Amino acid sequence: MAGPTDTRLNTQEEITARVKALEAMLIEKGIMTTEAVDRLAEIYENEVGPQLGAKVVARAWSDPEFKARLLADATAACAEMDISGLQGEEMIALENTDDVHNLVVCTLCSCYPWPVLGLPPNWYKAPPYRARIVREPRKVLAEDFGFVVPDSVEIRVWDSSSELRYWVLPKRPEGTEEMGTFDLAALVTRDSMIGVGPAASPSS
Amino acid sequence: MTASETGVRPDATTIGDARRRVETLVCGLPGGGIDERMFNEPWELRAFAMAVAAYHSGKYEWGEFQRSLSHSIRQWEEGNGGEPWSYYEHWLTALETVLADNGVLSDVALDDRTREVMAVPRDANHHKAHREPIAISPAIR
Repeated sequence: MAGPTDTRLNTQEEITARVKALEAMLIEKGIMTTEAVDRLAEIYENEVGPQLGAKVVARAWSDPEFKARLLADATAACAEMDISGLQGEEMIALENTDDVHNLVVCTLCSCYPWPVLGLPPNWYKAPPYRARIVREPRKVLAEDFGFVVPDSVEIRVWDSSSELRYWVLPKRPEGTEEMGTFDLAALVTRDSMIGVGPAASPSS
Repeated sequence: MTASETGVRPDATTIGDARRRVETLVCGLPGGGIDERMFNEPWELRAFAMAVAAYHSGKYEWGEFQRSLSHSIRQWEEGNGGEPWSYYEHWLTALETVLADNGVLSDVALDDRTREVMAVPRDANHHKAHREPIAISPAIR
């Protein structure tokens, strides 16, 4: 049997590049399409990476001093919880309030704070979301995500880049006053941290 | 209009069915309990999906991939590499091996292409930080 990987794959960066190169070559040779790989990857996209965002949100809901530090410097606050950035790029957590709803997009590619949120869902990377959410955010939230933001609330759309990645601190749901951080974290969905849905309600 | 009609979000039943099909394939593979099969890095999922996609396109038999994966793991166990354990590095080695054995891809060509990829900065087009919202939908009061 041939042994094609004589090259030492020393870093995650090298191996990431190798996998990217392999995918590009197989697509060029007509062996697979990006869509076919995306569809398979989609099955497990919720299971990649540390996905620690829910813990960070639950702590911010329960600990006002931590929340203040998180909103002032999300990179540093996450580091307190042993969550590191990728190569040290900046993260900002955007707080949803009664007056302002935030949501995140990467208009050019798929920049996403994956050490906090795990892997981006396929739709986050796809052109329909990237284009439409900027043009008509209220409508896309209602129609595509079944999430109606009241007219009295302003919607702000934030563009993540490789230098600065955003994620959303959703509003704490009603009826959770007695809950501890462990149970609160279970209510924090990935979608709520992208800003395309609310945190789950404890009754549902 | 529902989400599946506009195509922004896939529907959960489709994903559930696809998952069962893939897991039937994967459950016969050597090495790696549930913990080791978890994806820790985005490339691992990409490599996983590519092996299944290339198999679906008929480039090799699943048994070939299975044997190639066993071989890579056995070599590691025999201490040839002296490298830390990474299930998906074996997975990638196995994939490259079956592709090479079937004349799909040469190792040299992949090395060259990898160097090209590394020469391009990550997200080259999107380095600038955008500090203001890109769009606002104002409140109506």
